[in-house]
Amino acid sequence: MNVYILDGTENMFYSAVFFAYSDADCILSSAKNIQLTLDARIITVEYEEDKCERVKKKIAQYDPKALSDIALILKRGCDTKEMTALQYIRLILKNRAPVRDQLSHPMVIEAMDERDKVTLEAHRFKGFLRFMEGDHGIMYAPFSPDNDILELILPHFLRRLTTQPFIIHDTLRHKAALWNGKECAIAQTDDRISVRFSPDEENFQHLWQEYYCAVNIAQRPHEKQMKGYMPVRYWKFMPEKNPGLR
Amino acid sequence: MIDANRLKILTESAKYDVSCSSSGSTRANRKGGIGNASIGGICHSFTPDGRCISLLKLLLSNRCIYNCLYCPNRAEADVPRASATPEEICELVLSFYKRNYIEGLFLSSAVDRSPDHTMELLIDTVIRLRKVYRFNGYIHLKGIPYADKALISRAARYVDRMSYNIELPSEHSLKLLAPQKSKESLLMPIRQLATEKFVFDQEKKGKHSTRFLPAGQTTQMIVGASPESDGQILRLSEAFYRKFSMKRVYYSSYVPVVHHALLPKKCTGLLREHRLYQADWLMRFYGFTADEIAGTSENLPEEYDPKCAWALKNMHLFPVEINSAPLEMLLRVPGIGNLGAYKILKARKFSSLGFEDLTKMRIVLKRAKHFITCNGKFFGSENISTVKTMLALEAHEEKYEQLSMFSTPETSVSALTGQL
Ligand code: SF4
Repeated sequence: MNVYILDGTENMFYSAVFFAYSDADCILSSAKNIQLTLDARIITVEYEEDKCERVKKKIAQYDPKALSDIALILKRGCDTKEMTALQYIRLILKNRAPVRDQLSHPMVIEAMDERDKVTLEAHRFKGFLRFMEGDHGIMYAPFSPDNDILELILPHFLRRLTTQPFIIHDTLRHKAALWNGKECAIAQTDDRISVRFSPDEENFQHLWQEYYCAVNIAQRPHEKQMKGYMPVRYWKFMPEKNPGLR
Repeated sequence: MIDANRLKILTESAKYDVSCSSSGSTRANRKGGIGNASIGGICHSFTPDGRCISLLKLLLSNRCIYNCLYCPNRAEADVPRASATPEEICELVLSFYKRNYIEGLFLSSAVDRSPDHTMELLIDTVIRLRKVYRFNGYIHLKGIPYADKALISRAARYVDRMSYNIELPSEHSLKLLAPQKSKESLLMPIRQLATEKFVFDQEKKGKHSTRFLPAGQTTQMIVGASPESDGQILRLSEAFYRKFSMKRVYYSSYVPVVHHALLPKKCTGLLREHRLYQADWLMRFYGFTADEIAGTSENLPEEYDPKCAWALKNMHLFPVEINSAPLEMLLRVPGIGNLGAYKILKARKFSSLGFEDLTKMRIVLKRAKHFITCNGKFFGSENISTVKTMLALEAHEEKYEQLSMFSTPETSVSALTGQL
């Protein structure tokens, strides 16, 4: 059985699909700690532009919207994402048409579920991301999402905070989006970025905590629902859930 | 900067207003400005009662010259009083907004000194936000009854949504419990805004420079403080949707914060509120009329949701065949909602759907199975009283889950919206 080792980029993925498409029981993976069976033959994939483009063109020919589905699936923070995407591609090529609406097909169900997990998390972080004001007026927002969604939420904040410089930092993937009011760049980072906060930062965090307590209707507790909509793993950077965080 | 104590007073007075939704408006950011309004609405946090925080919900003042019996801020009440200046509110909104705590502002006020005085302060606040701070985020303004007509239409040019709460479901109850507010004082501004918006949108077609309540109007009524039936309430809502193109009617189950001989001593159950939201959903999205849902003097059944109740009364229309039923009919099947119906429509184009296919598509069949066939096969019970019992048992399980779903974001498939 062939095992194609990937680096997590789209280019590498499509280069591998060129071969893997007809390689019936192969594995595609960018996982760091992949479990190998005895008969595994490891293939280190190289980026080959022409093969990559040919694959994409073929897919787009049958379903122009599929490439964006696949791009989203590849942002999943789970080890099987490449296999999900590969099977989805195989199905499109076999049908020579979009398969998105075949909602009772198990492969389609899986692909759409994985895609939706990414878009759901991106939607949630439009709300749950928290900025803190640095002493030079730059807003800094650390977060550690399950999926690689930095580039997905960035346009939203660029539209919203046009004149306001900010940094959004994915502390898990060690990368950050930097916006200075004119240009935007994505950069690799250390685990921690040290930021000095503005003198008002603490006051506003405090007011926000106060507000959070005051709007709650204490006679009607429903923690389960709160945690369902706002999973505990996201609380780390939210001042209202960390009264000590300053 | 506003201090924590005043913020607390002004928030606590505003929090029972259930309308949290920030959806339904698109407002693009302008050059040099901050913020935009997002069409789907965004939840920024959830409180331990399970409700979504989307907007900073605040009173400008809780000092009131009126005496609505049910209101903790009425003139005679002995409660701590506070107010904030327009400038203080602007500072708070901007600081919260750029930290991404909130989607915008829901501003309201008690009637401080006079209706016009209060309305002027509210307008001052929103104009300052838009013009001085170039804030393009979402603003919902609650109107003050008896305020001057010109003030009302001025406000509508700066905010995304306005609401005049109708408060109680009948004129008689309003007279009794909110003696200073007349039916006309609430209905007039609603009618005025609906007419002005209609005219504005006609003239403005295609041009986007100025806007008039892009997210429309909403209203709210208290359920259970007065004796009106659900049937009456739903007819009133239906009229609001039809006559004034109201975007939403909110139902707020009565909580006794104030004791008075004319007021009930007990809370209205959240189940009643929930059933009303479900019925409201049927009217807005599934093409039901109030008449189909409940007779004028009837209340909605507690045992099962209003769609089940309607289906049980109309068994001659069922079962429907999943592979051929039109959308309108699929939507009338208990347990099948918008999303489910849409999935079925799409999937059945490719292959005919059996019972297992529906399960794979995660369409919940516990209720639906009594009302559908898949390729002619029926999996439910023929016996109507068995069906009734099973549906009631199921609703019973659901009840405890949803009883506490007092308010949830409009963005999710949820109980407050009453989606069925
Ligand atoms: S007008 Fe009535 S409901 Fe509004 S604050 Fe005053 S007393 Fe309360």
